[in-house]
Amino acid sequence: MASLLRQVARTIRSPLIQNQVCATAVRFKSSSEPQLETRPTVRKFNPLIRSQLTEFGQYVAECLPKYVQKIQLTAGDELEVLVVPEGVLPVLQFLKDHHNAQYASLVDIAGMDVPSRECRFEIIYNLLSLRFNSRIRVKTYADELTPIDSCNDIFRAANWYEREIWDMYGVFFANHPDLRRILTDYGFEGHPFRKDFPLSGYVEVRYDDEQKRVVIEPLELAQEFRKFDLSAPWEQFPNFRNVNPAAEDVPIDKQKK
Amino acid sequence: MASQAVRGGARQVKPLLSLDNEEARKRALNLYKAWYRQLPYIVRQYDIPKSVEQCRQRLREEFKKHECLTDVRVIDMLIIKGQMELKETVHVWKQKGHIMSYFKPTAEPKPTDFLSKFLQGVN
Repeated sequence: MASLLRQVARTIRSPLIQNQVCATAVRFKSSSEPQLETRPTVRKFNPLIRSQLTEFGQYVAECLPKYVQKIQLTAGDELEVLVVPEGVLPVLQFLKDHHNAQYASLVDIAGMDVPSRECRFEIIYNLLSLRFNSRIRVKTYADELTPIDSCNDIFRAANWYEREIWDMYGVFFANHPDLRRILTDYGFEGHPFRKDFPLSGYVEVRYDDEQKRVVIEPLELAQEFRKFDLSAPWEQFPNFRNVNPAAEDVPIDKQKK
Repeated sequence: MASQAVRGGARQVKPLLSLDNEEARKRALNLYKAWYRQLPYIVRQYDIPKSVEQCRQRLREEFKKHECLTDVRVIDMLIIKGQMELKETVHVWKQKGHIMSYFKPTAEPKPTDFLSKFLQGVN
C-alpha cells in the first residue's frame, strides 16, 4: 500500500505530468465559457442581444425556407440574411410587416462588386426596426444582366437608392418607376463602382476655344496604367493573425420543412 | 468540361425585357424609330451645327455598331440604356456638348503612316 502511494506521489511530482494537467484544465476553461472581451479598444456586444438575433435569424430561415440561403452574424451582433435574388421582395415584406420584426425603415441599399464570383454583384439592404431598436441586413446577388425586382413598392426610400445602384454598378431593377442616372453626368459611359472601371475613366472633359463649348474626348494617358505590386514581404498585422472570422454562420434547419 | 459548357448553355435565366430574339428585334426597331422621329426636334432645340441628315447617318452608325449581337439580354440592356438616353435628350436634360460628343469634331485621327506617327511622337 505504502509503495503504491509513493509511486502516485512521484508521478504527480514529475513536471511533465503537471504540465499536461495544467494544459487540459486551461483548455477546459476556455471551451466551457465564452471569452469575455476585456480589451478596451475592441467593441463589445451584448450576449443577450446576440442570442436573440440568432434565434430571430433561425426563425426567419424557418419561415422562408425557399428564399433564405444562409444566416450569419458579422462583427459579433449584426444579423445578415442571405437570400436568392427572386426572394428579395418576400423577405423584405416579411421583415417589414411581421409583428415581431417591424423593420419598417430602409436605411440604405449598398452594392459590392467581386469580379471573380459567378454573380459578381452583391446588393445589400440595411433595415432598421424603430420599434425594437434593431438592425438587420439582407444580402442578395446579381450579375450584369440579371434583373432584380425593385422593392420600391415596399419601401418608398428604395427609389433613389436603386437608381444609385443602377448608376454605379449597372444592376437593372425590374419594375422601378423611374430608373435613370442619379450621380453621373448625362452622356457618361460605364458604371464607376465596377472594379473593371479604370481609375481615370474613359473620357476627359475640357473647354475648347474653337468650338466655344465644353468638349468630351476619349482619354489618352501618356503612360500605360501601371500596376504596382504593393504586397510586402513581411506580415502586415501580426496582432490580427488569430482573430475570429468576420462572419459566423448561424445553423439553420433545412430538413424541417 | 464539355458537360459544363452544355449546362452553361442551357442555363435558365431571368429575361430583362424580351423573351426571344424576335421581340428584342422589335424593341430595337421601335427605339430606332423613336430616335429617328425625334431628330429634327433635337437639332432645333439644341442648336447643333449638324443637319438632320447627318444626325440620321450618325444614328444609323450607332445602331449598326451593335449589329452582330445575338444575346437577347445584352440587346435588352442596350435598348434600356438607349431609351434612357433618348429621354435625357428629349427632355433637354443634356446640353449641347453632350449631344455633340456623339460626333467628336475635335477628335484627331490616329496616325497611320510613318511620318505622321513620327511627328506625333508615337511609335
